[in-house]
Amino acid sequence: MGAATPIRNLSARDLEPILAVASKLAAPFDLDTMLGEVVSAARHVLDADRASVWLHDAATDELVLKRSPDLESVRIPAGIGLAGACFRHRRLINVPDCHADERFDPTMDRQTGYRTRCMLSLPLIDHKDVLVGVLQVLNKHSGVFAEDDETLATVLAAQCAVALQRVRMMEALMEGELMRQELEIARSVQLGTLPDSMPAVPGYDVYGTFQPAGLTGGDTFDLQIFDQGLLVVLGDATGHGMGPALTVAQMQAMLRMAFSLGADLDTAFTQVNNLLADMLPADRFICAFIGLLDSDAHRIRFHSGGHGPILFFRAATGDCEVHRPTCFPVAAMPLPALRAAATLEFAPGDILVLISDGATEYRDPQGEEYGHARIHEVLRQHRGKTMAELAHLILESVRVFARGAPQEDDVTAVLIQREIARPPVASSFKRGLDSLDAISGFVGAMFASHGVDASLRPPVEFAVEELFTNMVKYGKGGAAEVRLILARIPGGVEATLIDDDSDPFDITKVPDANIDLPIERREPGGLGIHLVRRMVDSIEYEYREELRETRITFSKTVPSGPGGAPTTGGGHVHD
Amino acid sequence: MFTIENGPDGVVRLAGRLDASHVATAQSLFDRLQGAVTLDCRGLEYISSAGLGVLLKTQKQLMASAGKLRLVGVNRHLRDIFRYSGFDQIFEIEPLE
Repeated sequence: MGAATPIRNLSARDLEPILAVASKLAAPFDLDTMLGEVVSAARHVLDADRASVWLHDAATDELVLKRSPDLESVRIPAGIGLAGACFRHRRLINVPDCHADERFDPTMDRQTGYRTRCMLSLPLIDHKDVLVGVLQVLNKHSGVFAEDDETLATVLAAQCAVALQRVRMMEALMEGELMRQELEIARSVQLGTLPDSMPAVPGYDVYGTFQPAGLTGGDTFDLQIFDQGLLVVLGDATGHGMGPALTVAQMQAMLRMAFSLGADLDTAFTQVNNLLADMLPADRFICAFIGLLDSDAHRIRFHSGGHGPILFFRAATGDCEVHRPTCFPVAAMPLPALRAAATLEFAPGDILVLISDGATEYRDPQGEEYGHARIHEVLRQHRGKTMAELAHLILESVRVFARGAPQEDDVTAVLIQREIARPPVASSFKRGLDSLDAISGFVGAMFASHGVDASLRPPVEFAVEELFTNMVKYGKGGAAEVRLILARIPGGVEATLIDDDSDPFDITKVPDANIDLPIERREPGGLGIHLVRRMVDSIEYEYREELRETRITFSKTVPSGPGGAPTTGGGHVHD
Repeated sequence: MFTIENGPDGVVRLAGRLDASHVATAQSLFDRLQGAVTLDCRGLEYISSAGLGVLLKTQKQLMASAGKLRLVGVNRHLRDIFRYSGFDQIFEIEPLE
């Protein structure tokens, strides 16, 4: 709207209330308070009996008049009445006698018994030209609204528009902030359900990983050892946000409680299902695989409430069995009776793969789903990998398949493999540097026979040979041979060197070499142990005085996972 | 097995395993080097801390007469060893492509 006509005789008495209003309008009020301030400012400045603010609701294209908190708001289509006309034309309307104006809607007057005589309607337009609503000022105490009143009202309306728009935006922002905070809390609740570390199950390699979507999904997994066996859970609660996060947290807490109290699988599943069915709203449920692995009998018994497909890779044939859910989702309804648990028998090398629908239903840009055949392909192509490596290879295959399509749901995977038994190998070596070639050959043969990742061979060989060389150099020169034992461990190898004719010398206590010295001050020697410590994951020294036996054990594994992937597994949470 | 061979281009080729059992042979061969010498390490499969000692001693000797060793074709594992031992600050090292 155009600039207001200057007021010819603007007195200090007129200006003072406007400035007072301006300062109030800058205050961080909530919308209702701000509306009250605008109304009272308009009445005060224009010496009017009443004022009201109609705010535009863009969603419905209505003008909304907020009244006192206990009265419902009045809504009119933006275009009806004097307010509507003012809004549509973005122009001030000054009506000295409303009941003589055909645009005036007398309904309100009739309802309230109030008589509107004269009225100023002003469009509320902020400094960015956004039309916020309409300000109406009714019944000037002394006569009708004059030209000066129009000018004053226009100035006031502009200020009110800015203030109202600011408050509305602040409130929208705060709503978003509250939502973001809620999502963060939900995410931390959800992350809290994940195990801190992967349990050590003799003869098995178990791994779980969780890759959160941008918004909170409702995935969880659990791998926890109880007297009854290894609890294996993969769950996916419906919906996003706080609800599903709490739901999976509740389910997990109940399951852990039930199993630590000694419940069997059927009882725990039924009780948790029935309790959750009572507690949760009708539209909430959890697709969950809940199983117990007996690692001695090599058997997993499970109920799968709505979670499928369950993939079971058979190492002997390279085939992949696809098992379906055993019953409807957890908490969908109370279970009158439970079918017997399903059972899978692990042969050496077999792999159970549980993966949430965030992966199998991940869509590429053309809308095709990832499915599960590609997982089978990964399993077939990467024999001999650890479950951590396989999990990351599967997630990587999902990522490649998606070709940049955004992740819309949590992706969670649990992999369990019965390891192929490969007993450790041992050999003894004559105490002398000419044994080094034989040691190198022995390490190479073990890597081949036990399927150890070839990238580990140089550091393992280095460590073994340095430790052996030390035993030769500092030994008594006796006839006793040095014994070397190599064992396959998940993701790598463990080596033990035994010298049973030695004085105590704790290599783990040897200080590091100072590698920052200039060349003229560096001396040959002293680097062996320094380097070994950097090559291996862990190293232990043991000395048995009565046997004069030194035993040094170190392990070396492939670093798990491509660095920095947003996954959690093995106790690592990257988010 | 460890071999050291003087190429016609003045480049010295190392091959095999430079471990503790070969350091004496290696040192006697390195002691003959003079000036700025390029060591081609493409065939060097393995080096132990004793082997590092030989390289350090040789580098010191050469630097005393304004010479130096330059290592080319160094594989990833050897590079790790050079880095962990601080030798990457003492030698000019060119990785294996």
